Amino acid sequence: MRTACGADMRSQQSATAPTPADPAAQTAANKRATKLVTDETGRRMAIPLNVERVVSLAPNLTETIYALGLDAKLAGDTTYCDIPPAAKEKPHVGAPQDPSLEAIVALHPDLVLATTSINRAETADALLKIGVPVYTSDPHTIAGMLSSTAIMADLLGASEPGAKLVAELQRRLDALHAALQDRPMAHVLFVVWEDPLISIGQNTFIADALRWAGAESIIVANQNWPQVSMEEVVRLQPDYIVLTSDHLAAETHEHVNNLRDRPTWSELRAVKAGHVVMASDEFTRPSPGLVDAIESLAHELHPEVFPTKTENGKVKMGNSAKFFATATAESLRGCGTCAR
Amino acid sequence: MRPLTPKRILSICGLLAAVLFAVVVISLRVGAYPISMRDIVITLFNGVLGRGDTSEFNQVIFGLRLPRIALGILVGASLSTSGAGFQALLRNPLADPYVLGVSSGAALGAMLSLIIAPHTVGAIQLAAFIGAAATIAAVYFLGRRGGQLDSATLLLAGIVAASFLSAIIIFLLTLVNGPGLRSMTFWLMGDLTAPPPTQNVLGWFGFLYFIFVVAAGAMYTTSSDLNLILTGEQEAGHLGVNVTRVKLVVYVAASVLTGLAVSVSGTIGYVGLLVPHVMRMLFGTDYRLLIPTSAIGGAIVIVLADTLGRTIVAPTELPVGAMTALAGAPVFIYLMRRRIR
Repeated sequence: MRTACGADMRSQQSATAPTPADPAAQTAANKRATKLVTDETGRRMAIPLNVERVVSLAPNLTETIYALGLDAKLAGDTTYCDIPPAAKEKPHVGAPQDPSLEAIVALHPDLVLATTSINRAETADALLKIGVPVYTSDPHTIAGMLSSTAIMADLLGASEPGAKLVAELQRRLDALHAALQDRPMAHVLFVVWEDPLISIGQNTFIADALRWAGAESIIVANQNWPQVSMEEVVRLQPDYIVLTSDHLAAETHEHVNNLRDRPTWSELRAVKAGHVVMASDEFTRPSPGLVDAIESLAHELHPEVFPTKTENGKVKMGNSAKFFATATAESLRGCGTCAR
Repeated sequence: MRPLTPKRILSICGLLAAVLFAVVVISLRVGAYPISMRDIVITLFNGVLGRGDTSEFNQVIFGLRLPRIALGILVGASLSTSGAGFQALLRNPLADPYVLGVSSGAALGAMLSLIIAPHTVGAIQLAAFIGAAATIAAVYFLGRRGGQLDSATLLLAGIVAASFLSAIIIFLLTLVNGPGLRSMTFWLMGDLTAPPPTQNVLGWFGFLYFIFVVAAGAMYTTSSDLNLILTGEQEAGHLGVNVTRVKLVVYVAASVLTGLAVSVSGTIGYVGLLVPHVMRMLFGTDYRLLIPTSAIGGAIVIVLADTLGRTIVAPTELPVGAMTALAGAPVFIYLMRRRIR
């Protein structure tokens, strides 16, 4: 599972435009020159070699574009795109599930980016039908997210920043892996929704992200978002309960206190021990920010490995990512050793 | 009430057709992509003359707005005609196109296609139609009594079939994953955004409208007999109406129209129930007039609802089913109270 992923380029170059001698015509031809690309859902399309305007149909894709430093090319995004805050200022084309196709066309995009984790297949089909190229990513693992990031960077003419970003993220993940490889997995209940209780299936990228953070979901399901009975949770007794939230720290405390007051929940060993952890809402978005969230969660779940931030039993927001991003693999491994 | 002459039928239908035309023009004009009336006309002329290019005007008019309008007209006309047919067949004012479970059968078919063949183009429409056809056949055999269709038995059989199929759908919903679940949610709300499953858009709509014309035409041939049957089945029989045959034709035609509509747009509510009632209030209960006015009225309602749905909360779009339910109920209550007074 935890191997470095190569950026798997499934695109092939094919110059479709002739190259006349006249330089002006040549620029025009270059602008129209395309390459044939097969996206992660198997749709084939011609994408311009020079993508100047891109529309993002999902928050994680918008975030990826910003992480690549390509926000100048971002012509529009969705009403859900709130990270980074600047993304809220871009023209919106609607919500990810039902954007206005006309609003997308009105932004004159060279390329539209979509993802199976929030968009509908009908949206991509309809846009492709009228000749607007839509690259749909389909990440099920962190490795898949990294390779998608590299491919999208390449499509946007930023292969180098893309490779750099992916290598950096991979390096941080490897450091985490090195620090945690000898530790037992924490058994966690990942709560997507409390009422009804919805958790995650084993084929989601969240399940994979948990593994990177040294944790394992207690729920084994083929469905992506299984509804789980409380009885099952009582039977399985997770070590930790992981909630996601973009709430402020104060609200978070309130949230956890509410959980402590609720009948069955309060009886869970994890709740009694104070093992309730908040992961940032980045944890649910397959984007570069997910690696920050994985690091934060790893620190919460394995405080003995990361002694600089040990306040067991207290709920904190994951904001330590920046600090740990600078820590090297060697020092993390060293910490792991001394903790044992 | 004035006697119903062909001239009166034509003039009323002509009036409604003019309203439909106006609604279509508005629907072509408004949207998130700004485009002037002049550009629309030029684009339309060039397109019709085969000089269409790959401009954005062309993409918006011929790629997005026209197919949606064409689909809206088809679905609205089918649902309303079907609703009028079922209301006569079951002699029940609460009957709508979905009362006999055709839509549940179609939904089950659509859902199975999302589980078995999730990425196959056109699978959802085909599977929905097969599901509808299977339900039509099953309810027909369950709903017979003494060799012919009996309104009460048919209604009971249909309602039981609908709730049984809905239970299976809810069970299957737990098996569908992310993208399929989203598609299904929109399908169950009624949605016109799904693109035609083939590159030959003209051929696709030709095929759909052909089915509509055959089914609606078949129902129209029974309209004089339906008027008599509504006064009483025995009396109609004494007057020489072949009641068994008329009921069979109406049943099959109305079911095919429902199956046609739900296969391409999911389950859009209210239209099939309300439009025939509104047309009765406006133009009387004669089925020779009610069937064509319901068809045109349904088309007007769906195109208008879809136009509103994609403009009032722009750039996000409301599913057309939500719009019809939202706007349909108040209009209906207004007309009903006005008539009572």
